[in-house]
Amino acid sequence: VNTHQPVNIIMIEDDDGHARLIERNIRRAGISNTIHHFTDGTSALEFIFNGSEGPILNGPAMVLLDLNLPDMSGTDILTRIKSVDKLKRTPVVVLTTTDDKVEIQRCYDLGCNVYITKPVNYESFADAIRQLGLFLAVIQVPEVTE
Amino acid sequence: MVAQDPMGAGRSALSTEAIRRLLAAALLLGAAILVAVSLSAAWLVARDQEYTGWVNHTYTVERHISRFSVLFERAEAARRGYLLTHDDRYLVGYRDSATALPKELEALQALTGDNPRELAAITELEPLLSNKLNTLEASMRAAQTQSMAAPTDAATLEEDQPLVSQIRELLARMVVEENRLLQIRTERQTANADLLLAAVLTAGALLAALSIGAVILVRRYAADLDGSQAELRSVNEGLERAVAERTADLTRANDEIQRFAYIVSHDLRSPLVNVMGFTSELEVSLKPLQALLHEVEEKAPSIPLKAAREAVQADLPESITFIRAATRKMDRLINAILRLSREGRRTLTPEWLDMGDLLGGIVESVQHTALERGATIVLESPLPTISSDRLAVEQVFSNLIENALKYAKPGRPARIVVRGLTTGSGCAFEIEDNGRGIATADHERIFELFRRSGPQDQPGEGIGLAHVRALIYRLGGSITLDSELDRGSTFRISLPRTLLRDRDQTA
Repeated sequence: VNTHQPVNIIMIEDDDGHARLIERNIRRAGISNTIHHFTDGTSALEFIFNGSEGPILNGPAMVLLDLNLPDMSGTDILTRIKSVDKLKRTPVVVLTTTDDKVEIQRCYDLGCNVYITKPVNYESFADAIRQLGLFLAVIQVPEVTE
Repeated sequence: MVAQDPMGAGRSALSTEAIRRLLAAALLLGAAILVAVSLSAAWLVARDQEYTGWVNHTYTVERHISRFSVLFERAEAARRGYLLTHDDRYLVGYRDSATALPKELEALQALTGDNPRELAAITELEPLLSNKLNTLEASMRAAQTQSMAAPTDAATLEEDQPLVSQIRELLARMVVEENRLLQIRTERQTANADLLLAAVLTAGALLAALSIGAVILVRRYAADLDGSQAELRSVNEGLERAVAERTADLTRANDEIQRFAYIVSHDLRSPLVNVMGFTSELEVSLKPLQALLHEVEEKAPSIPLKAAREAVQADLPESITFIRAATRKMDRLINAILRLSREGRRTLTPEWLDMGDLLGGIVESVQHTALERGATIVLESPLPTISSDRLAVEQVFSNLIENALKYAKPGRPARIVVRGLTTGSGCAFEIEDNGRGIATADHERIFELFRRSGPQDQPGEGIGLAHVRALIYRLGGSITLDSELDRGSTFRISLPRTLLRDRDQTA
């Protein structure tokens, strides 16, 4: 059991531009962890549950989740992740354009750890992502017990 | 209460009017008949009494005549008895009858004073009677003076026989006369009674006919009423159904628009994030380029850099600034649409709102701005209490009051008056200002999304009034504007006194 296993970042984001911006800002914050990018829910879930490098089979991970996906709602993925014992402590950061209070509340209810609205004001968005990097550095990603 | 089909109402009103007139006429006629019957009955009864009186009078006269003849016969018989027997008992009987006879005749005379025939008979009778009485008296006296035992001769007894038969004949004539009168009077009385009966029967028949007519009329009236009510009911049901269908259609259309607005605004934001994000990335990338340019200019001034410098130092930053401004504006617009659509989807929860308190709260929240600009806000009490959605009502009034503060006429301190009153099932409010006013051409336009009026010297996207009107429509009210350029504006809002529970619970 390797306690210092690096945390994989799983980014589920259908908009390539957003994905690129998020990645750039994460890198700019000095975080070099591997980022696995998926543009739809199905392949993301496949990776999370069955992927050889996925969190179940291969160590800790953090999930960056967009709520608007072409094939399913991000909240479905959130529910799936939080309903499995091995994954429920995996931090999930919801990133979306919605600033609807009801939606935000629902995400927290489902177990989302951080909720970030993608603002058009890019600076504050970049700030949020960078802080997310700090968050990533600070949090104790729970170890996945075999 | 019920909506009336004008045609049906017209027709039923016509027949109703006719029936009402007929009924009134029947009632009047009935009353007239009753009065006539009462009067004629009274008259006939009075006549009957009179006739009965006359019949009784006749009987009285007859009684007197018969008494007279009895007395007369008794006097005659007593005299005869006395003359034959000289018994004093006969004498007494005779005296009684003889003294009673003239009195009786007097009484008869008094009774028959109205009848010339009887009077004539009596006048004829009078001398005959006194003659007879004198004869009797004379014979009685003669008998008294004669010896007791000597019987009076038959001649004496029979000497006044013609007189007696004359009197008897007269009396018989009187009786015949009275009988004739009695017959006439009885006949009259019978005729009168027949008349009375006929009058009562006729009146009864007339009244019965009237009642039957009235009953038929009322029944027809009732049937008409039932018919028109049934018609109204079915029309109403049809209307309600139509209204329900329209409402369902409208609700569906509204839902669709709301969903559309939500999706559009939501999905438009996504690319905007990219535009903004990569614009920033461009800016970030520009920095090393600018540094490089600076370095090259210093170290190798021989390289011509005019075009590159213009691009890196002027054109690119300017382009980025324009892209930024445009995306910011687009973001605001999208946010506005999003907010409107979210408001449209929000479930309204009616509660009792004291408008005085609510408006007081709004005034307090803008008090700072008002003081800064020297504006006064007047709430004219009393303000009504309504049942509505607090948030929506607050947004409506704070928007309008803020607008009034914002669009004051420069150089004239703003004076804003808010008043309200209850009007039947609703409440009317007025927000009046002395601001810069709105040109007549723009009175409808300003309620449209992203449209503004007058000099564009104030920040804003042209969302406020569109939002206000959408909210008021949702609350079941309406808003109108009265405004003159440079004079001021008055927004008039009408809201239902009680907001119905939200029916369109759109998810």
